[in-house]
Amino acid sequence: MVAGICLMLWAGWHNLRARKLALQQAQENHVTLIPESGKANANSPAASADSAPPDDALRGKKAPAFTLTTLDGKKISLSDYKGRPVLVNFWATWCAPCKLEMPWFEEFRQKYGSQGFEILGISEDDAPKEEIVKAVKRINVSYPILLTDGKVAPAYGGVDYLPESFYVGRDGVVAIETSGLASKDEVEANIKRLIAGANTAPANAVAATAAHPAALLLPSAVSTH
Amino acid sequence: MRRLFAVAAALALSCAAVPAHAQIGSFDGPAKPKQYIEFAAEPQTIPAGKRTLVELHFQVGEGFHVNSHTPKSELLIPTNLTITSADGITVAQPAYPAGKPYSFSFDPTDKLDVYSGSFLIKLPVTASAGAHALTGTLRYQACDNAACYPPRTLAISIPITAR
Repeated sequence: MVAGICLMLWAGWHNLRARKLALQQAQENHVTLIPESGKANANSPAASADSAPPDDALRGKKAPAFTLTTLDGKKISLSDYKGRPVLVNFWATWCAPCKLEMPWFEEFRQKYGSQGFEILGISEDDAPKEEIVKAVKRINVSYPILLTDGKVAPAYGGVDYLPESFYVGRDGVVAIETSGLASKDEVEANIKRLIAGANTAPANAVAATAAHPAALLLPSAVSTH
Repeated sequence: MRRLFAVAAALALSCAAVPAHAQIGSFDGPAKPKQYIEFAAEPQTIPAGKRTLVELHFQVGEGFHVNSHTPKSELLIPTNLTITSADGITVAQPAYPAGKPYSFSFDPTDKLDVYSGSFLIKLPVTASAGAHALTGTLRYQACDNAACYPPRTLAISIPITAR
């Protein structure tokens, strides 16, 4: 009887010990995982959240000013387009999806140019200028292509990947921000919204986004600021 | 008041969200100082003085692809391995795998030539007897299904023993 109780106690203790060991092991594993996932943390969902805020970070805010040089050597400032709806598009010669949407931009520029709409393509390339000129010729766009100064992308939230587009209203405020390739229809809808929004109710559109609690609720927006 | 609530809710959310992210952690994903390719640096043993093909295993992060060594456009940045010969160990031109066709969903006609998942580069190596370390870089440029990430350089080191 006593032996039985002892055996049960021992078994219980043994079991507990085994569980503790397993737990310890799990924790050890966890610990070894952390440096990696710390790195990954910056990468993965947290970071896709990290890179997601650019989606909204500038919306409702004044578009950061810039003065850049075009491929033909002219200086162009965003402020030159005050009072006009402007699509500021970041791209690079090595970015295949960028080159996919650029001809669409060109088409919409022809279509909506009479309403003041303009596109500024900022090339985030470290390729020599001749390469960029060659690429632009091949892509066949005629809107101004500006060479990066290395400061414009950080001002626009880092532009960690391409393409990224900022739809700047007549009031100089970023109305829409998009990252990655969207469909042609979406691009056109954004352009229409940009042109219309600035015409009819500029303050309302901006106020609506700024006051939207969801914008504040983004966990990433909180963790990064 | 409403704003205060929103901030409180946001804080609560971020507290809840951060550990979840930490646990999910994988090496891929859009992030800042990150690589989209992992290299498995397996130590290799080869016969001394005999030209041997050493296999280098790379893994592209899930959901990403990189241009192959021979992309279809000269403007695209090819995946390129640079390994330098060192004392007692010489390398020849690496053999790259063929790419797979890939197109972005909004333009199925535009076919790119890419690596995704795992891929293997074969490197001819000749080494004298002893322990060596081959070092070099893999330059590549990654995209996911909608966006592209600036070119990256992955440092590579392979311990080689020749006997």
